[in-house]
Amino acid sequence: MPFDTADIVLEAIKIALVVGLLLNVVPVMVWVERRGSALIQDRLGPNRVGPFGLIQAMADALKFILKEDVIPEQAHKWLYTIAPMFGLIPALTTIAVVPWGRAFALPQSIVFTPALSAIVMGAALGAILLSIVVIVSTNRYRHREGATKLNTVIGFLVGAALLLGGLALIGVWAALKSAGMVSVPGAGHLFEPIIADVPVGILLIFALASLSVYGVVTAGWSSANKFSLFGGIRASAQMISYELALTLSAISALMVAGSLRLTDVVAKQTGYFVLFDTIKIPAWNCFSPAMWLSMIVFAVSAFAETNRLPFDFAEAEAELVAGYHTEYSSMKFAMFFMSEYIAMTTMSALVVTLFLGGWDIPWYNEPATFIGFLLSAIAFLAKVGLLLFIFVWVRWTIPRLKYDILMRVGWKCFLPLAVVNIVLVAWFIGMGWI
Amino acid sequence: MHFAIFFFFAAVAVIFALVVILHRNPVVGALSLVASFFALAVMYVLLEAPFLAALQVIVYAGAIMVLFLFVIMLLNLKHQVEPATRPIQQFLGYTGSALFGIALVYYLSKYAVTQLPSGPFVADARTVGIKLFEAYIFPFEMVSILLLAAIVGALLLSGRLSGRREVAE
Repeated sequence: MPFDTADIVLEAIKIALVVGLLLNVVPVMVWVERRGSALIQDRLGPNRVGPFGLIQAMADALKFILKEDVIPEQAHKWLYTIAPMFGLIPALTTIAVVPWGRAFALPQSIVFTPALSAIVMGAALGAILLSIVVIVSTNRYRHREGATKLNTVIGFLVGAALLLGGLALIGVWAALKSAGMVSVPGAGHLFEPIIADVPVGILLIFALASLSVYGVVTAGWSSANKFSLFGGIRASAQMISYELALTLSAISALMVAGSLRLTDVVAKQTGYFVLFDTIKIPAWNCFSPAMWLSMIVFAVSAFAETNRLPFDFAEAEAELVAGYHTEYSSMKFAMFFMSEYIAMTTMSALVVTLFLGGWDIPWYNEPATFIGFLLSAIAFLAKVGLLLFIFVWVRWTIPRLKYDILMRVGWKCFLPLAVVNIVLVAWFIGMGWI
Repeated sequence: MHFAIFFFFAAVAVIFALVVILHRNPVVGALSLVASFFALAVMYVLLEAPFLAALQVIVYAGAIMVLFLFVIMLLNLKHQVEPATRPIQQFLGYTGSALFGIALVYYLSKYAVTQLPSGPFVADARTVGIKLFEAYIFPFEMVSILLLAAIVGALLLSGRLSGRREVAE
C-alpha cells in the first residue's frame, strides 16, 4: 500500500489523540467514581486537592509511582511482572477499530472565520478561567489543616500548565488573525477518525478482549496466594462465560449492517425509521424492535466482562481480600486499576457504536467538514461519557450477586436470549423490515 | 517491510514453541503456546487473511488455551515430573520424531509455495461461511458431532450422568 508523509502524520496524530484521551479517562473516572459514590451514599468524598477535588487523581497517580514495589518471595517473578501488562495492552489496543467521528477531507486552507475565531478564543478563555479556579482553590487548600506539600505543588503545576495552554491558544488565535488564511499541508487527504479501519473490526476486538483474561489468570496464579488464585480463576470463568453472550448479542448488529467493519455498522445507523410517514426516529439499533433485547444482553455482559459490580467476583473483598491483585502494590497495582477503567471505556464505546448510533447526532445531518467532525466526535464522547456514568451509578446502587447466580444467569438466561435474538433479527431481515 | 515482520514473528513463533516443550513449568509452557499462536496469527495477516487471523486468536489463544491454563492451575502442577521410561521407549521416540522431521522438511522443500496464487484472494467472513456450509458441510457436521460426543463423555466421566441414574434406581 502506498503511504505518503501526510498519511503517516495523520495516523500518528490519531494514535496520540486516542491513547492520550484513553489514559486521561482513568483519573477523570476515578474522580467521578469517588465523588459519585459519595453523592449516592450521602458523603462528601475527596474534595481537598484542586477545585471539587479534581486533582486528587493526579496526587494518587504520583503516590502510586513513588510507593515501594513489593514482589512476594514465593511469587513467580517473571509472570508476576508481566501480568499487569497482559491486562493493560488488550485494553489499550481494542479502541483502534472503533470509529469516533465523521470523516472529512482536509481543506486546501484554513480561513479565519468568525466561527473559528470564537472556537479558538473560547477554548483559550476557558483554559485560563479553569487555571485561575485551580490556582485559587489550591491556594485555599494550602492553608487548610492536613494539607500536604506534594498536593499543593501538584495543584499549582496543573494550574500553571492550564494557564500556559490558554496563553498558547491566544497566541495561535493572534497568528491566525494576522495571517487571515493558512494553507494546509497534505490538503485533500481524507481524515478518517478511526485508527485502523480493518475489515474484521469487531472480531479483532473480541480476539484482543479474550486475551485480557490472561492478565487476570497469570496475576492470580503467579502471586502464590490462595486468595489471588481463587480471584483469578473466578474472573476467568466469568469472563469466558459472558464472552459468549457478548459476542452473540453483537452479531445481531453486524447482521443488520451486513459487515464486520464498525464504520459500516455506524453508517447503517445514520438514517431514520419513519413512523406513520411523519415521526422520524434515528435508525439507531437500540430503537429497532428486534435489537433492544440484544442491547440489554450486551450491556449486562459488558459489566461482567469488565469485572464491575454487581459482577466483581474477581475482587470480592468480603470473601477474597482483593482477589487477583491482592499481592500487587505501587505501579503494578495501578496498571490493573487503569486496565479496568480503560476496558470500561472501550466497552462503552462498543455499546455506543453497535447500538447507540456511534457518532451520529439525531435529527442533524453532519456536514463532511471539520465542524461536522468536531460535532460528531463530541456526540460520541458524550454518549460514551453517559454510559461510563451508568457504570458508576450501577456499581454504587446494586449489591453483588452470588457467584452461582452469576454463572446460571450467564449460561441459562443470556446465552439463550442472545441466540433467540439472532433468529428474531434474521426473521426481520428476511421479511425486509430492517 | 513484510520480510522484516515475517522474520520477526517467525522467530517469535519458533522460540516460544521451543519454550513450550523445553520449559519445566507447565504454566510458562501454556503461556508460551499462546504467544506462539499469536505470532502465527500475524502470519495470516501477512497472507492477507485477517479473518483467519482473528479466528486463530479467538479460538486457540482466547478459548482453548484458557481452558488448558485453567486445568493446569486447578491441578496446581508446579513442576513436570519425568515419567519413568525404558531405554527402548526413548530410542523409539527419538528415531520416530527424527524420521518425521526429515520427512516434513523433504516434502515441504519439494512442494514449497514460493508465491501467493495470483488473482483476487478473498478470505472474508462471507467466502469462508459459504465454503463451510456448502463444500465442507459434511466435515463441519462431523466435527460438531465429535465435540458433542466429547461433552457427553466428559459428563459421563465426571459422574454426573451415572450419579443421577443411581438416584433414580
